[in-house]
Amino acid sequence: MGVEDPYSEILNIFEALIFQVESATQYHTMSVLPRWYPTSLSSDHSSADPREFVQKSFFLQSFLQEAEEFWQAHDQGKLQSGLWSEQALMGDESYLEATALVQKGQRFLIIQRYQPEMVTIQPVLQKARENHLAHGKELEVRKDVEAHLGSQLAESEQIRDDVMAVLEHLKLATVMIDENSVVTYASPAVFHQFAIDTQSLVGGLWTQVLPLIEEQCSRVQEQMTLPEMGRTSVAVSLQKKQKPWLEIEVEVHDDPRDQRRTILFLKDRTEIEDLRRQLIGHVHFEKLIGKSPGMQDLYQKIQEIAPVDVPVLIQGETGTGKELVAQALHRLSARKGKAFVAVNCAGLTDSILGSQLFGHKRGAFTGAVSDHEGYFEAAEGGILFLDEIGDMPLTTQTTLLRALQEGEVIRLGESRPRKVDVRVLAATHQNLQNLVEKGKFRSDLLYRIRVARLQLPPLRERREDIPLLSEAFLGQARAVTRKFEVREISPEVMQILLQYPWPGNVRELKSTFDFALIHCHGAHIQISDLPPEIGGPPAVLVTPRSSPRGEREEILAALEQVRGKRAQAAKLLGMSRSTFYRRLSDLGISSEECSR
Amino acid sequence: MKDQGVIQKKVCMLGGSSVGKTSLVKRFVTGQFSENYHTTIGVKIDQKSQCVDDIELLLVLWDVYGEDDFQKVRASYLQGSAGYLLVVDGTRKETLAVARQLHTLAAQSMGPVPYALLINKHDLSESWQVDSEMYEDLASNACLALPSSAKTGEGVELAFAELASQMLKV
Repeated sequence: MGVEDPYSEILNIFEALIFQVESATQYHTMSVLPRWYPTSLSSDHSSADPREFVQKSFFLQSFLQEAEEFWQAHDQGKLQSGLWSEQALMGDESYLEATALVQKGQRFLIIQRYQPEMVTIQPVLQKARENHLAHGKELEVRKDVEAHLGSQLAESEQIRDDVMAVLEHLKLATVMIDENSVVTYASPAVFHQFAIDTQSLVGGLWTQVLPLIEEQCSRVQEQMTLPEMGRTSVAVSLQKKQKPWLEIEVEVHDDPRDQRRTILFLKDRTEIEDLRRQLIGHVHFEKLIGKSPGMQDLYQKIQEIAPVDVPVLIQGETGTGKELVAQALHRLSARKGKAFVAVNCAGLTDSILGSQLFGHKRGAFTGAVSDHEGYFEAAEGGILFLDEIGDMPLTTQTTLLRALQEGEVIRLGESRPRKVDVRVLAATHQNLQNLVEKGKFRSDLLYRIRVARLQLPPLRERREDIPLLSEAFLGQARAVTRKFEVREISPEVMQILLQYPWPGNVRELKSTFDFALIHCHGAHIQISDLPPEIGGPPAVLVTPRSSPRGEREEILAALEQVRGKRAQAAKLLGMSRSTFYRRLSDLGISSEECSR
Repeated sequence: MKDQGVIQKKVCMLGGSSVGKTSLVKRFVTGQFSENYHTTIGVKIDQKSQCVDDIELLLVLWDVYGEDDFQKVRASYLQGSAGYLLVVDGTRKETLAVARQLHTLAAQSMGPVPYALLINKHDLSESWQVDSEMYEDLASNACLALPSSAKTGEGVELAFAELASQMLKV
């Protein structure tokens, strides 16, 4: 076992077992016994036989078979076993490695031992495998997340499809608009109901791609600018060749996810509107509101009279909407594209009214500094509406009669007649027949202007229209006062409105809502919000007409309250200016008394 | 190396990395289990006596490092084996593919020897990814194919006992 070789000391430093191999069974030890040599084999190093180590190692016995093949096949080189551990042999988990070496035909077997910490590949491999495992887990998690997201996406798509199916089933035409007024979505119902290719809608400005005219777009646009709780539906009538095609109700909603975006619901109300018309007739006619038999009759007559180019006498109490009827006649007549000139005949002297109606020549009277065209000429081709014709002075009546008979007018101060093509509509709250009998109105003029007649019912005779009118006036007053939180009329208030006599008729009802909205502080209009003459005991100077003081005192009190301003006094009393001036005249209230 | 009268049988533990080969050996030899993972370097040789039908058998267990992208199993380590345990991680179905490669390598190196197929880590059933249809090809020629757990000991003794029994018959 002792080695005389000069290199032996160097070999000993490596703490390796080195054998020179003569044959499969002949091993010569070339090194001293290393310190790691297992004591289980020999507690006494001096007597140990290292060949026992080779014989007892399962791994080396296997490796030597591989090494034998190597030695036989090579004259030079080495074959390494790779690391192994054999606890039963070594008594610990230290690593060993064997090398089969052949050098110039001489064979050697070298066995080295490594402590686990000396095996540098260990931490690298450990780390690499841990990373590999972590990566695998990460991939699993990612797959799970992808599967989850895929499932969520499928679920979302299913929900979207369901919502679309519901929208489709409801035939609810839905249009979504972004903050730039561009249509981003249109439901299939838009195509079905309006025969518009939904794809052509998407990407366009809604004001251009929806089949709405400018005025309808403006009304929808107006709703968009309001807070959602203050919005109302916009009824639009889509027309084809001047005939209603579809009645649409446009609901404007904010997109709950992004309030800069808007959702429009276009509800086809055509069938409902048709049925309602059949059931109750017109609720709205032009700017008139009312479903009562009296109003239905009025609508019918307006439609019959409007196209016939004859004078019309419109009769009704103050505030019943005589001018609205005149406007409706104008719009439904062949003269609708021409002028509509309204003149109030009350409270004007003969000369002033004559000058205004027929015009004058420069110098015709003091102050006539230039030639002046009268209302007749101004209304050329259109309609001249003479309000309060019962208050027209007799002289002017004569001139008017001539104008109607001859179709020509002569300006004051001139002798040359001028041809005029004007349809005259006249209105009065008075019984003209009585005035004829009293000699205050020319009978021939009466016969001339009442070729067609319309009688407007007072509000007290059509109380069933009060809720409808109230709703409309509440909406208008809400928009004017911008009190969108006021939503309803309390039942108590409605009860009062239904019972009140309404001497000022619809005009008085409208001003009642203007008054109530100013004073209302909640969501409902209460009795306390109503004007005192309607909602409770009088708290202002103006007293009900039934009071003993009489109408004269009432007018004077109102004038005093507004410091003589007649227009404001008329408004306070719920009268038109023309009625107010007429009452001043009738009651003999002088200008001095007015401004006192 | 050899005791007279005791039959020795070399048994290789084969499978992908981290499938639990070392833990199965430790459970079989010492009855213990450790949660800590230490990758095996090279070959780790253990031994345990097993009595089969009154015949004492010394099983020499070659726990060969797990094959993966970093290390391929050296065929010479498998030579002389009387049988092997093919181990799959039931929570990672990709370890089935590694098992198939090693099964082929074993057949080339060892010849027709008995083997047992263990689908390990059965204690992690909530993460289980494989079912019997997926390893039917590997199980068809195995002397035993069953789920196992080095952590709970499920299937461990049974697998080694059955393999030892089959090795004696060869």
